[in-house]
Amino acid sequence: MSASENPGGETSIVDLRGISKRFVKHLDLAGKIAQKLGADVREETVYAVDDVSLSIADGEVVGLVGESGCGKSTLGRVVAGVHQPSDGMVSFRGKAMNEMTGLEARDAALKIQMIFQDPMSSLNPRLRVMDIVGEAPVVHGVVDKNGAEEYVKQVMLRVGLDPDFIRRYPHQFSGGQRQRIGIARALAVNPEFLVCDESVAALDVSIQAQVLNLFMKLREDLNLTYLFISHDLGVVEHLSDRVVIMYLGRVVEIATTEALFKEPNHPYTKALLAEVPRLDARRRTFEPVKGEIPSPIDPPSGCHFHPRCPFATKLCAESQPILREIAPGRHAACHLNDG
Amino acid sequence: MAGSNGSVPTLDVENLQTYFFTKAGVVKAVDEVSFSVQPGKVLGLVGESGSGKTVTGFSIMGLVDEPGRIAGGHIKFRGEDLVGASEDRWQQLRGNQIAMIFQDPMMTLNPVLRIDTQMIEAIQAHENVSRDEARQRSRDALGQVGIPSPDERLKAYPHQFSGGMRQRVSIAIALLNKPDLIVADEPTTALDVTIQAQILYEAQKLCKETGTAMIWITHDLTVVAGLADEVAVMYAGRLVEHGSVDDVLDKPLHPYTHGLIGSVPSRNKRGKPLEQIPGMTPSLLNLPPGCAFKTRCPRADAACETAPDVTKPDGGHRLLRCHHPHLDELAEVPA
Ligand SMILES: Nc1ncnc2c1ncn2[C@@H]1O[C@H](COP(=O)(O)OP(=O)(O)OP(=O)(O)O)[C@@H](O)[C@H]1O
Ligand SMILES: Nc1ncnc2c1ncn2[C@@H]1O[C@H](COP(=O)(O)OP(=O)(O)OP(=O)(O)O)[C@@H](O)[C@H]1O
Ligand code: SF4
Ligand code: SF4
Ligand SMILES: [Mg+2]
Ligand SMILES: [Mg+2]
Repeated sequence: MSASENPGGETSIVDLRGISKRFVKHLDLAGKIAQKLGADVREETVYAVDDVSLSIADGEVVGLVGESGCGKSTLGRVVAGVHQPSDGMVSFRGKAMNEMTGLEARDAALKIQMIFQDPMSSLNPRLRVMDIVGEAPVVHGVVDKNGAEEYVKQVMLRVGLDPDFIRRYPHQFSGGQRQRIGIARALAVNPEFLVCDESVAALDVSIQAQVLNLFMKLREDLNLTYLFISHDLGVVEHLSDRVVIMYLGRVVEIATTEALFKEPNHPYTKALLAEVPRLDARRRTFEPVKGEIPSPIDPPSGCHFHPRCPFATKLCAESQPILREIAPGRHAACHLNDG
Repeated sequence: MAGSNGSVPTLDVENLQTYFFTKAGVVKAVDEVSFSVQPGKVLGLVGESGSGKTVTGFSIMGLVDEPGRIAGGHIKFRGEDLVGASEDRWQQLRGNQIAMIFQDPMMTLNPVLRIDTQMIEAIQAHENVSRDEARQRSRDALGQVGIPSPDERLKAYPHQFSGGMRQRVSIAIALLNKPDLIVADEPTTALDVTIQAQILYEAQKLCKETGTAMIWITHDLTVVAGLADEVAVMYAGRLVEHGSVDDVLDKPLHPYTHGLIGSVPSRNKRGKPLEQIPGMTPSLLNLPPGCAFKTRCPRADAACETAPDVTKPDGGHRLLRCHHPHLDELAEVPA
C-alpha cells in the first residue's frame, strides 16, 4: 500500500487539490412546463464547487456541513468518482485518479463507496436484497458465485439485517432497514472510504440513532474512513473528528470538531453555531438573517458571505479571502484573520 | 382577535378519528386524538414517520381525500365545529383564517404561474385591496422569509428557485393573510439552521403580534424545544403523551418519549453509542390489540395487551397513555 504525505504530515487516504465543478443548470419539470407555456426561462451555469482542497487521513471521520445548495453532495460525488471534476485533482492513497491505469482506477472506485440520502430511490425496486448486495462483489471477484449467498448473509448480519430476508424486495422493508441495505451494498465490496450523503436525514430520530451507531461500530470493526455530509450539526458534532464548513461552493473553515464548536473562527460558522437548535434551549427568541441571502447562480463578489456578514468591510466585497492555516490544523477563509 | 384569558381556544380537537378504508383493511391513521391550541400559542406535534401527523393536519384543513374520511370526533375552530362543514365554508377559511404549510412546497405553488400572480391572487381572493397594495404586501412577505431581491423574485417562476427557496415562498404565502391558525408540516427540515431561524423568527413574530395559533409538525425535538409552548407526541395514530414543553422534554413519562429524547445526539456523549429504540414502526393496517408500542417497549408486560386509556399522571394538565410510565421522573423534585 503506497502512502502519501499531506502537508500536515499525516497519511492521507484521499487528497483533493483545487477541485471545481461547474454545471449548466438544465430545466427541471416545472421549468420545462413553464417554457412550453411561453415563459422566459433559460439555462444557467452553477459554480457548485469552487477550488476546494482537502486531505482526509486514514481512519478519520470528516463532517461536511453547509446550507442547502452549497455543493456538499457535488463534492461528495466528485470524491466517489460519480462526477469528474471540471478542474483539479483527486488522489487516492497518493496516486492521482487521472493517472491511474484501468485496473488501478477500478480498484480505487471499489475502495470509495457512496451511501445516498434517500434509500428508496437509490435501490432498484425490482431486485432482491441478494442481488442488490451480491452483484458487485461477484462482478469484481470479491467472492465467487457459489459463495455469494453465504457472503451476502454475512454482510446482512454485519449491518443488523436478518439474513432470512435475503429474498425480499426493498419495499418490504422499513426506512431504517432500507438504509441498512444501502450500507450493506456499499460494504460488500470491502471499501476503505465511505461518502455518506445525508444518510440519516430521512430517518426518524429513533431509527437515526440505530444507523449512526452502526456507522460508529463499522468504523471500529473495519477501520473505515468517512466523509459524512449532513446539515444536522448535532449529528456531525457527535460523529466527526474534523469538520469542514462550506458556503456557496467554497470551503470557509476546517477545524477539529472540538475546536470548531468551542471557538468558531469564520463569521458564517459563528452564525451557524449560534442558531443550532438544542433540547435545552426553550422558547428561544429567534433572530432574522441579517443582510441578503445570495443565490448560487449569481454568487456575490469577493467573499461570498459579505452581504450577510456583520463584520464585512469594503475589502470583503472586492477580494476573495484565501483559505489558510490560522492555527496548527485549523484553516479559515476570512479577511479578519489577515491583520 | 380574541383576548387571552378564559377565551375560546383557536382550535379544539376532540376525539378525532380519521380512517382510510382501503381494500386491504381500515388504516386508523388518527385515532381518538384530542388537543387544543390557544391564540398566540404553538403546539409541537412530533412522532415518527407514518404516525399520523400529516393526516391530523389534513383533517384540520378539510383536505382528507378518499378512501379516507373523518370517522368521528369534532374539530372546533373558534367554537365552530368544522366536521361536516360544507366545501364552501372550508374554502372561505382555507388560505385566509386557516393556512397550511405543506411538507412539499409544490403543493402550494403552481408551476406555470409567476410568483407575483400567485401571491396577489391569494390576497385578493379574501380581501378587497388594489393590485398595487397586494403586490407591495407580497414583496414584504418574501423579504420576511429571507428571499433576496424580492422585487425581481416576484417576477420569477417556481422552478427558478432552489428547493429551500420554494419552501420559503410557500411559507410567505401562508403568512400573507395573517391567519388565525397555521398548520406547518415539517417546513424547515431541509433548511440550513440560519435560514430555519429566520423562518422561526417570522413564525414567532406572527404568533406574538397577531395572536396566530400554530401547530408545528416535526420530528426534530430541538426545534420543538426552541419554538413550542406545548408538545403532543404521536405514536401509531394516537397521542401518547401531551404536556408543556418543559414537562415533556425534562420529564418524559411515556417510554416512547423517553427513548426519543434519549436518542438525540446532544443528549449523548460525543463519539459514544447513542441510546436507541429497538425495532421499527408498526404498520397501521390492522394494528394488533393492546398498546401499539409494546413490541419495542422495555417496560411492556401482560397489562400492555390491553390498550391503555388516557390518564392524568400529575393530576394536572399532562396527558398520557401508558400502563407503566416513568413516574420516577416526576418524583425528582427540582430545586
Ligand atoms: N447535476 C446537476 N446539474 C445541474 N446543477 C446541479 C447538479 N447537481 C447539483 N447542481 C447544482 O449545484 C449546486 C450545489 O448542489 P449540491 O446538490 O451539491 O448541494 P448540497 O450542498 O448537497 O445541497 P443539499 O443540502 O440541498 O443537498 C446547486 O445549486 C445545484 O442546483
Ligand atoms: N391515502 C391513504 N390511503 C391509505 N393510507 C394512508 C393514506 N394517506 C396516509 N395513509 C396512512 O396514514 C398513516 C399516517 O400517515 P401520515 O402521512 O399522517 O404520517 P406522518 O406522521 O405525517 O409521517 P411522516 O413523518 O413520514 O410525514 C400512514 O400509515 C399512512 O400510510
Ligand atoms: S471576509 Fe469579510 S465578509 Fe467574509 S466572512 Fe470575513 S469579515 Fe465577513
Ligand atoms: S402501555 Fe406498556 S407497552 Fe405501552 S408504552 Fe406503556 S409500558 Fe410500554
Ligand atoms: Mg445534497
Ligand atoms: Mg407527514
